[in-house]
Amino acid sequence: MLRSPGRPLLVFIAVMILATLVVPGRAPAYYTHVVNLLMVYGILALGLDILIGLCGQFAFAHAAFFGIGCYTTALLYMRLGAPFLIGMPAGAVLAGLVGLLVGLPAMRMRSLYLALATFAFAEAARWVAASWDSVTGGSNGLRIDPGTVFGWSIVTEADAFPIVAGVFTLVVISISHLVRSRLGAEMLAVRESEHVAMASGIDINRTKLLAFTISAVFAGIAGGVFALLNSFVNPDHFSFGTAIMVLTMLVVGGFGSLPGVLSGVVVIGLLPEVLRVALKSIQVWQELIYGGILMATMMFMPLGLAGLSRQMLGKARRANRALDATLGGTETPP
Amino acid sequence: MSAATLLQILSSGVVTGGIYALVALSLLIVFKSTEIVNFGGGDVLMFGAYVAMLCQDYFGLGYGPTFLVTSCVMFALGAAFETGVLRTVRGALSPSRVLVSLVITTIGLAYALRGVVRLFSYTDEVRRLPVLVRGPPLFLGPVVLQRQDVVIVAVTLSLVAALFAFFRYTWLGKALRAASVNPRAAELIGIKVARMRLFSWGLAFVIAGIGGILIGGKIPITPDFGTQIAFLAFAAATIGGFQSLPGCIMGGILLGVIQNMVGFFVSSASIAVAPFIVIMLVLVFLPQGLLGGGSALKKV
Repeated sequence: MLRSPGRPLLVFIAVMILATLVVPGRAPAYYTHVVNLLMVYGILALGLDILIGLCGQFAFAHAAFFGIGCYTTALLYMRLGAPFLIGMPAGAVLAGLVGLLVGLPAMRMRSLYLALATFAFAEAARWVAASWDSVTGGSNGLRIDPGTVFGWSIVTEADAFPIVAGVFTLVVISISHLVRSRLGAEMLAVRESEHVAMASGIDINRTKLLAFTISAVFAGIAGGVFALLNSFVNPDHFSFGTAIMVLTMLVVGGFGSLPGVLSGVVVIGLLPEVLRVALKSIQVWQELIYGGILMATMMFMPLGLAGLSRQMLGKARRANRALDATLGGTETPP
Repeated sequence: MSAATLLQILSSGVVTGGIYALVALSLLIVFKSTEIVNFGGGDVLMFGAYVAMLCQDYFGLGYGPTFLVTSCVMFALGAAFETGVLRTVRGALSPSRVLVSLVITTIGLAYALRGVVRLFSYTDEVRRLPVLVRGPPLFLGPVVLQRQDVVIVAVTLSLVAALFAFFRYTWLGKALRAASVNPRAAELIGIKVARMRLFSWGLAFVIAGIGGILIGGKIPITPDFGTQIAFLAFAAATIGGFQSLPGCIMGGILLGVIQNMVGFFVSSASIAVAPFIVIMLVLVFLPQGLLGGGSALKKV
């Protein structure tokens, strides 16, 4: 279970460094924009996967934490002039605190009640953002001036790329460590069976609370980066639709698998761009295609792209495993 | 603030609340028979309203045939969703893990229904169904009642009564209940559980569709309008703990009244947040719902 991060992570870091050296200024601004956005969604989706994929808590409040991070970063900058490197962590901390507060009552709820309660919280939070005119600008939205990092003004997408890539890389590294840590193993145990986890001496409530908090912190980070990228935000950016989009990324990629989730982010994140090229009236088709993808994935690929690739690799390994089993080795859970 | 105003608020709350109760019933029937919270419930209602509009605007049918045709279409749609989609999803994973997949599938359904409706440019404009019954309003003491509202309440009440009778007295209703309480035992005594599930989804879609027709004469219809109703229906079903039929109906009516009260006493902008506050309060303090009682976990 507890493999070392090893080579894939090092390759990933190398690719990100290379991209940071190559992409800014060379790639067309629009592509840079798409890649930046994909990395924000990547942070958001990986954070949600800690809660749903790793800890098995089917919660829907993620868009709210994303929004809290974004509004905090943007408002600290616009009102107090706080630079990104102060505003973004502040947003992450605030999102984490709210995540903790939501987790307190939520940890007692089971599956679908949890989904309903967190969903209600997210909608209520969006309502606050849309109604609190004096702070958030209400449904008219909030204009954000170009942010600063180390006194360096972030105006274009290419300026933002190294920052976004850096944050994204750090997030991927810390999550791949979390998954392999003791806490990660405890979360996995809670997902598999609360009774067995409890019997093994795992504090279930503490584990769930930590999952809620950590997941919210990552959503807050994603929100902060989103504020850096956008010159304008409004409550619709943090609606149920955003929550569903991130959930779709997890579903298509495969819950509980870091490379799976990231591939889901790429597929679903690029989908609107592909549709924009392929179909003229993308607004009209988008929902139908989303719905179709969700249903078809659950029907034919319930464990997502990650499950599909495991299945293919598994065929080659199955002979070995059968041999292990007959020799008395323990069967690894699927 | 006179008693008459209060009664007026109450009565219009009961009218809309009755429709929320219908959608909540639709959610409840599905939940009890398949343990799935149908996140597409509001969009099923929206779809029903558009099917009715198609009947009336395109085929020129009256309200009677409209109810009939819409019910048939909705039943077929619900049954098709269960057999064509959910059955495959259920077979794809082990029972302990499949629940989340099933719920995600209903979110897919919600998007697909909205997407289908949006394909027709007819739905770009905000439309309404014609008024259900014309005529001067009725005066009941100090309270003014629209004729249409009286019909809506009457249809809602008779549908609820019919459902009660159906679940209590008919063979099919009893079989549905048996299949939901204990599928394995029901299968053993010869009830086809798969067919019961199909019937539950069909019935749930019919009820939501009728809700769509009833509300379509009162408020403007857009492809997005189901979502708002869905929130209210979720709140109503939560009050009923997703378990009790009377709980859902009371929850729906309560929600309708709360909504009107909030609109009158606080502000119309606060109406939107009321259902979420209700859901959160109920689940935080009574994780089983107000009238749910007992265990929410089902035995196998």
